[in-house]
Amino acid sequence: MTKYIETIGIEVHVELKTNTKIFSSSKNGYGQMANSLTNVIDLGYPGTLPTINMEVINTAIKAAHVLNCKIRKTQHFDRKNYFYPDNPKNYQITEARTPIGYDGYVEIEIDGEKKKIEIEEIHIEEDTCKSAHRGKVSLLDFNRAGVPLIEIVTKPCISTSLEAKLYLEKLRELLFYSDISDCKMEEGSMRADANVSIRKNITDPFGVKCEIKNIGSISNVKLAIECEIKRQSNLLDKGESFKEQTRRFDDKLGDTVLMRVKETGNDYRYFPEPDIPYIVLTDEVINSAIKSLPMLPDERREIYISKGVSLVNANKLIANRDLSDYLNNFIDTDLNFKEATNLLLGDISAYLNREEKNINDTKLTIEKFSDLVNKISDNTLTSKNLKDILDKILEEDKTIDEIIKECGISNITDSNMLNDIVLKIISENPDSVTDYKNGKDRALKYLMGQIMKETKGSANPKLVSDILIQELNK
Amino acid sequence: MSKYLDLDLVEINKLLKKKEITPTDLVLECFDRIEKNKDLNCFITLNKEEALKRAKELEDKEITSLTYGIPIAIKDNIVTKDLRTTAASKMLENFIPIYDADVIKKINDSGMIIVGKANMDEFAMGSSTQTSYFGHTKNPWNKKLVPGGSSGGSAAVVSARITPIALGSDTGGSIRQPSSFCGIVGLKPTYGRVSRYGLIAFASSLDQIGPMTRNVYENAVVLNTICGKSKNDLTSFDTSEDFTRLIGEDISGMKIAIPNFYVNDAIDMEIKNKLNDVVQILKSKNCTVDYVDIDYIDKAVPLYQIIAMGEASSNLARFDGIRYGYSYENPKNIDDLYLKTRRFGFGNEVKRRIMIGSYLLSGENATTYYNKAMAIRNKMRNSFLNVFKKYDLIIGPTATTKAYPLGCDLDDAVKAFMDDILTIPVNMAGLPGMNLPIGFSIDHLPIGMQIIGAPFDEAKIYKLGSFIEKELNLDLTPSGGDNND
Repeated sequence: MTKYIETIGIEVHVELKTNTKIFSSSKNGYGQMANSLTNVIDLGYPGTLPTINMEVINTAIKAAHVLNCKIRKTQHFDRKNYFYPDNPKNYQITEARTPIGYDGYVEIEIDGEKKKIEIEEIHIEEDTCKSAHRGKVSLLDFNRAGVPLIEIVTKPCISTSLEAKLYLEKLRELLFYSDISDCKMEEGSMRADANVSIRKNITDPFGVKCEIKNIGSISNVKLAIECEIKRQSNLLDKGESFKEQTRRFDDKLGDTVLMRVKETGNDYRYFPEPDIPYIVLTDEVINSAIKSLPMLPDERREIYISKGVSLVNANKLIANRDLSDYLNNFIDTDLNFKEATNLLLGDISAYLNREEKNINDTKLTIEKFSDLVNKISDNTLTSKNLKDILDKILEEDKTIDEIIKECGISNITDSNMLNDIVLKIISENPDSVTDYKNGKDRALKYLMGQIMKETKGSANPKLVSDILIQELNK
Repeated sequence: MSKYLDLDLVEINKLLKKKEITPTDLVLECFDRIEKNKDLNCFITLNKEEALKRAKELEDKEITSLTYGIPIAIKDNIVTKDLRTTAASKMLENFIPIYDADVIKKINDSGMIIVGKANMDEFAMGSSTQTSYFGHTKNPWNKKLVPGGSSGGSAAVVSARITPIALGSDTGGSIRQPSSFCGIVGLKPTYGRVSRYGLIAFASSLDQIGPMTRNVYENAVVLNTICGKSKNDLTSFDTSEDFTRLIGEDISGMKIAIPNFYVNDAIDMEIKNKLNDVVQILKSKNCTVDYVDIDYIDKAVPLYQIIAMGEASSNLARFDGIRYGYSYENPKNIDDLYLKTRRFGFGNEVKRRIMIGSYLLSGENATTYYNKAMAIRNKMRNSFLNVFKKYDLIIGPTATTKAYPLGCDLDDAVKAFMDDILTIPVNMAGLPGMNLPIGFSIDHLPIGMQIIGAPFDEAKIYKLGSFIEKELNLDLTPSGGDNND
């Protein structure tokens, strides 16, 4: 097979996380009873008019900002006219000519190299309703009709299926983090189309473009692009040509399937929506939307790593937005972030998962957490202690000190007392002592374990380790 | 039968307050008149049972407005909850809305009683009420003539003194031209003055609901009721003022402009003469009357056709047989459903306009026609606004002719628009404009003049209108078409 140059562009539709729909006061929700979140406007009743939900505009400003786009200050909506049963008015209200964001980029990292995936534009539009086909009839659920969407269109600047995957992962992380969207591909709140073409030489014009519509997951986007490139390459190798077309990815088949060949470009009869006056964004509106953005993943990652957290743990934290937000309360303090991260991702996560709770629903105040981390850092509390009292810490209003007192935790920090126990264990385990002296590290761990057992876990491990090594080396 | 409905609103109000009559008396009298004028075919749907029920309810309540208890007819493109709303189309023959238009809420809140839905041209497309699926309406002044349109039913109802008030809608003259043909006062308010929410859209950037009444004062009273910003209509404006406030004020010193286009050769001599009589009166009252030019005013009709039909083709796309209205039975597939529903559901004029509108917005045509029309429209509006920098009001005839025989124009799509050459520029510029009866033709048919104001200057229109009305003191009760055969 000849090697071709791949050109990929990606269009992503993202449902915005707003309380109400874009042009009506119906609730914006998922998974509700069919047609329960609709009103006369969503249904395109005669005489109805759209209103504009400013929350949508603000959310779209945020999206434009996090995708490094320029923000257009004066915009209007247009009508895109086409007949389809899922399109209640038989026109869709969209920003065809004045997209709110343009000329942006998303930075991805590929083999250690950074690459900017350029964003052509972001525009706001309304979602259509959802159709389901049952034998001879089709059912329509208008709950989705009028849900706000943004469409994010890249330039044809993606060179491989891997880049496409990394771009989508990065996009999802950014939008999810900024509270712009749930980005759940399985629920359809994020939907991707890939435009794929190939050509022989970089100096050739772009090849014939095939669009793969509505791919169900990010990994399938990568697969679909790979299959499509293979398909196109085979055709070109055989000297065959093909027309511009729309395809879909069939993951059972593991290949793209033809939906329709594009005839002479679609005629959507666009014209400016006369029911919605021009929207003029002031600097104040733009700035206040941007100001309300939470800290983005890249910045979090940078801060965590600078505070001694491993990359793996930093990524784990970022993947759990609530924990990351919680930890961010301490950015300006000298809290031990490494210990704090271990605690959050370890015992606290285990508790939250078990109890199906959110960290903000526990009694772990900021003061308590900081106290807890400090007590673990300075060995006042052992990991055994923590396991014993964590539930109380998370469920009761008492301070850590009160809980320690109540549970009768008094760790053996008396080195004389520890010394005696260490000597006792050494004398009881001569084989291990010999092993240790022969350089077997495992022996040390075994002896430590025996001491902790003897003290029922209440000895300060650091202190025990110091004394043990000292005695063994005598 | 009583004749309370011939009294003006102030007198009816006094009688109601004195408990000499009740809203029920008015409603019963109204339905008696509806029955007697059945042959006019003013109504598509009557609301007798509900109207009587409501009249009964109103009897025990405090009378809070001048329009309290007054029967009103509503053009059938304004949606009324639980009351059939057809837009005079087979497409909506059985359509019962589940919500009220904004104006309907205001009408109800002010105590008016809706007695029925008035006939009109199908989807307000026409100038003679002959494109209605429910048959044409006759002109109360002469039953062989058209009442004008598209708000022909509303105009005929008020003209025949069936109800004192009707609501119409005006996209290119649909309130003013039938008002002229039927001898009543009809105002198209400034674009944005009245919420369009619940008005079945024809051309969104031009449509406006307005009052149709027997006299100027009552028109202002109704506008007081229906105006104002609505959270449902982003193109509506906040306007709280009393439109009757300038009525009765001295008009001397007013500066009036007449566009040269408004005295062109297409206009009947009879009409021009009547307008001249008015001009003489105004001059005698120390008003300045000058002739002015307005850019592109002669191109308003083709510009209007591009914009109105383009918008209409999109607005009427929702009638597809899926969610409401007429639906072709047993279609072969979805395309067949669309095709047959729209083929059999729409009348010829509507289909004609949808087709032209779709063509005008197709591909490159959108740039060649629609965008260009919008640009020239702006220039025309600016030219109007320039005139209003120097003049208080613009006047001219409302229509080029008096009411013409039924059956005319039906198959001459272009000529039908020529009826509207004097009203269309007002919609295109978003201005308020009112028809005022100023006399009769030699065969005793009403002739109207148009008073056009700067945006949101309706009060001034009413000021001049009521002055002229008083000066002329015309008897505007149709003497009965039978005598005029």
